Amino acid sequence: MKRIINRAAYIGLLLCAFAQAETPTFTIEIRDHLFYPAQLVIPANTKVKLVVINRDPTPEEFESYELNREKVIMGGAQAIIFIGPLPPGDFPFFGEFNPKTAQGMIRVEN
Amino acid sequence: MVDAVLLILREVLEAALILSLLLALSFKLQLQFRWSLVALGAGIIGSWLLAHYAYEIAAAMEGTGQELLNAALYTIVILSLITLGLLFVPLVFKTPQVFTAEENNPAGIDKALASNSHHPLMYYLFIVIVSFSLAREASEIWIYLSAFANKPDYLSSALVGSAIGAGIGLSLGAITYFVFAFMPKKIFLPIFLAVITLLAGGLSLQVAKQLMQIGWLDSGAPLWDSAFLVDEHSWVGELLYALLGYDARPTPVQGAFYLLTIAPILLASLWHAWGVHLTSSSKHP
Repeated sequence: MKRIINRAAYIGLLLCAFAQAETPTFTIEIRDHLFYPAQLVIPANTKVKLVVINRDPTPEEFESYELNREKVIMGGAQAIIFIGPLPPGDFPFFGEFNPKTAQGMIRVEN
Repeated sequence: MVDAVLLILREVLEAALILSLLLALSFKLQLQFRWSLVALGAGIIGSWLLAHYAYEIAAAMEGTGQELLNAALYTIVILSLITLGLLFVPLVFKTPQVFTAEENNPAGIDKALASNSHHPLMYYLFIVIVSFSLAREASEIWIYLSAFANKPDYLSSALVGSAIGAGIGLSLGAITYFVFAFMPKKIFLPIFLAVITLLAGGLSLQVAKQLMQIGWLDSGAPLWDSAFLVDEHSWVGELLYALLGYDARPTPVQGAFYLLTIAPILLASLWHAWGVHLTSSSKHP
């Protein structure tokens, strides 16, 4: 019985690793209340993993009405946000704590 | 400063509207208002704790702690709202006999309300709904203000902005309170029931959103896009978001969460409405 559970857990882990590997990952950095890159191109109709790294000592909130996402990222911390699958188009995002400067755009292309 | 006004207003608005709605209900049911002080105290302490442990929370569960905790807080509020709604359904759909008894005896409606509303659960539900909503929303205010802790010039401007934002939020709450408190009793209960049902549904969209954000649920194409009608950026959009959880582009998963959330109160209402229909038709064959 124990062996079966072990084996199932192993297969589960493998599947997880496989699923993780399948998801394309993109990184955005926050420096001096600006997003780098300010425009990111991602593939259409694909679930994407965004890693947002906040290099500032102050907190920021990644927010987008179009992407329907919001997440607080503390100073010096990083956050993972899954987006998509999305149709081709432009999806703006901004930093809610510094909305004047922290502006960015996700461009979804086929 | 304008940024601070808008940010604080957005965070405070939802909790202020929920608080006002439940205070209006307390007024209608002649309940004590003391619960609101407990709820506000617990909410503010809770929000501070959430902000204080924000790093640890965000890093927990492989970086999904913030979303999972938010989803849990939303879910507890939703379940409390559903319970509250179910306590009120029998009052909204009364049998015709009760109605005639009330017409003969105007105090009857108060008595009928009192019998269900003095349910011991009531105060606990109020406290949980307000304090949990406030804790989640207000924690972002602490985090936002912490950025200015070492910059006295910016801090004073941010604090003034925060005060103005909170003031506007509380004013809108006060307006909501008076609108509901001075509503005729006959229409108050059905409207109250409808509002908390929609509120619970709106919050369920947020639960789905949290789970999509950490990749536990798949987003899928939006069911519709009503941004051209009411933009979420607009004032109307923000107000609808705070009260009904308005989402211009809901996904199918969110739709399913919404229907599942409003189902208990909807089904209970249909059940009671059907019961009333049966008793009235058996009385007049």
